[in-house]
Amino acid sequence: MSFANFLDYHHFPVYSIMVLFLGAFLIVLFGKNKFMRNLLAFLAVSISLACIVALVKPVMLDGEIIAYWMGNRAVAGGYAIGIALEVDALSLFFALLISTAVFVSGIYSLQYMEHDNNVPEYYTLFLMLSGGVIGLVLSGDIFNMFIMVEILTFAAVALTAFRNKAHGALEAAFKYLVVGCIGSTCILVGIIMLYAQAHTLNFAQLSAVIPGNMNNATKLAFALLFVGFGTKAFIVPFHPLAADAHGAAPASISVLISGVLTKSGIYGLIRLTYFLFQTMNLGTFQFLLVFIGSVSMFVCVTMALAQHDFKRLLAFHSISQIGYVLAAVGLCTGLGFSAGLYHAMNHTLFKGLLFLCAGAVLHQTGTTNLDELGGLSKKMPWTTGLFLVGAFSISGLPPFNGFASKWMVYQAAYQKASETGNIGFLFVTLIALVTSVLTLASFVKVSQSVFFGRLPAKYENVKEVKGGMIFAMCLFAILCVVTGLFPSAVTKYLTEPAARAVFSVVNYIDAAMGTGYAASAMGENLPVVASFNFNELGYWSPISWLLILCIALLAVTIVAVSGKYDKVSESSEIADSKYDLFFGGEKSVYSQVGGGDLFWGFKHNWRHYFSFMHDLHSGIVNDYSLWAIVALAIVTLFIQIVL
Amino acid sequence: MIMFNYIASFFLIALGFYTIITKYNLVKTVIGLSIADYGVNLLIISVGYNPGGTAPIYTLGELTSASYFVDPIPQALTLTSIVIGACVTAMSLSLVMKLHESYGTLDTREIRRLRG
Repeated sequence: MSFANFLDYHHFPVYSIMVLFLGAFLIVLFGKNKFMRNLLAFLAVSISLACIVALVKPVMLDGEIIAYWMGNRAVAGGYAIGIALEVDALSLFFALLISTAVFVSGIYSLQYMEHDNNVPEYYTLFLMLSGGVIGLVLSGDIFNMFIMVEILTFAAVALTAFRNKAHGALEAAFKYLVVGCIGSTCILVGIIMLYAQAHTLNFAQLSAVIPGNMNNATKLAFALLFVGFGTKAFIVPFHPLAADAHGAAPASISVLISGVLTKSGIYGLIRLTYFLFQTMNLGTFQFLLVFIGSVSMFVCVTMALAQHDFKRLLAFHSISQIGYVLAAVGLCTGLGFSAGLYHAMNHTLFKGLLFLCAGAVLHQTGTTNLDELGGLSKKMPWTTGLFLVGAFSISGLPPFNGFASKWMVYQAAYQKASETGNIGFLFVTLIALVTSVLTLASFVKVSQSVFFGRLPAKYENVKEVKGGMIFAMCLFAILCVVTGLFPSAVTKYLTEPAARAVFSVVNYIDAAMGTGYAASAMGENLPVVASFNFNELGYWSPISWLLILCIALLAVTIVAVSGKYDKVSESSEIADSKYDLFFGGEKSVYSQVGGGDLFWGFKHNWRHYFSFMHDLHSGIVNDYSLWAIVALAIVTLFIQIVL
Repeated sequence: MIMFNYIASFFLIALGFYTIITKYNLVKTVIGLSIADYGVNLLIISVGYNPGGTAPIYTLGELTSASYFVDPIPQALTLTSIVIGACVTAMSLSLVMKLHESYGTLDTREIRRLRG
């Protein structure tokens, strides 16, 4: 094979997976040396990212679907006997998100982890996790998807427990392992039952054969696979695991668990419902996804409001945002799908940024407890600024990216309601709006209790984090702003090709199995179709919002500098504590309103709901396992009834 | 007779899940995971079984259309699944050991510092 042959882009998918696993292996061998280890990790993540980016032109823009057969063992006699990688625009979209997050998180780790023990093992697991996720989204073989799911689950569990002296790390890892294994077992049983019916493991061939031949066994397999990938996406009722795991893992890993692992679960659910079983034409299935999405959205945002730990709060928000993605994807329209993918991308960017900021706070102060922190904006100005970018993005303030994608989600739900005449979809818009408001409220609380307010005396000597960590956070922040400023370009070049790929299942099957296979195998079973009606999409003008924002900032600065603005004096300068904010008639020592209690009135009114939810999330692994089994039973019943 | 295998495998999986849900001892939880895993392995092997088939070991010359053997793919899958099962057991037991060190108990009802 000549050298030019190596650089053929058809090989890039396999390279992008291989370099990560190879890097993991080499770090085990040569990782004792710090320079060597950092170099290897950096090379692995950047080569992987470069391979994925190089695929954007052929796959996204030219619409090619790459079917790559390992060892050149392609289709023989109408059966796919080899192991395939299959890359269409949907896979590439997710791979692009994942490799970007992995790259930034890798850069951040270089300085974030330097004081920990066993750093070589950290990088080995980090690269295994990354390789597992990229392998999952690029794989065209359902058993290989299972293997990748197992690799990423193991690596994620081990990394969750990595700082095993940290509060709750071991406990979180064990719960994640148990429920994750229930999910993996479900996936494996589902795959085997499909194999028994269709005698193939190739995803494209299964997609052609299964939808026309549904029987009780395939229905049970569907339920098992659905719940299995649901545990990987941490949708309700699996959200407590996400909260535990995100909170306990090192921040650079929280970025991956929140931005990447949940996406891989969503990817699996999309592949299942749109490709493998092609049930999304049914209104009941749209209802199932939209319902789970809306419940996740609302339940998790209210759970987040009651949290007192920075990272645990972010973790609940993470699942709340995944609810948006799932609800939008479940609408089964072109606009809905684009909106969902757009929001998935934005979620990776802003949630990554927020977790890195939380990591920076933890790195410098040693805690993420909201009740202890305060006033860090004077000590850590860069982190504060970058945190605000992330907080504005997730709360959906223009001109940041969260606004653009949330706006699209609202419109998609509204459009679906007007097309089908079903009022239920209007409630989705409503829940999404309420959730967005609560998200904003909760981030006001976080910024108040961590970055503003009074600086506790013990944090007088806190310094800003080092340049490498700030650089990584800046990368995410820049991407947040850029994707917010050019929503039409993002939609046109990234999300719409991916959405179109989802609604052309026939092309996906033919690319792997040979032209005409889908038509002959599927017969008159029509694949899922959707209208691509972007007429109602009102693009807003982010540039003018940016100008308004700049003018407002400028005005504030001028007022502040010109001295008309009274510097708010620190509470310690007030002699009499009666000027402090206070709850009621308690003694003044107890009367201070901490940042964590900013919305105490709201919480008090909803105390029954909050205490109910608090008791429900008992932290006992048996309960969470029970939820998983109950979810499995409900989904099985649901599928038996509606299909 | 293969029907009996299917019933047994799903019974094992259900038993494993039942153990995970009802037992409050961490070691028993790990045992539950293993039992479910054995059920899955039995299911995979049973799916590939052809009554009266021989072992699927042939060279290209020996292979004719009259050869009758069991499906080799599920056997390969079972090997993978066994390896993964061993990893699950090893990893969860090591976590259990560490948990016992830091919490001083194996009762799941007391290992709940993260809740709410």
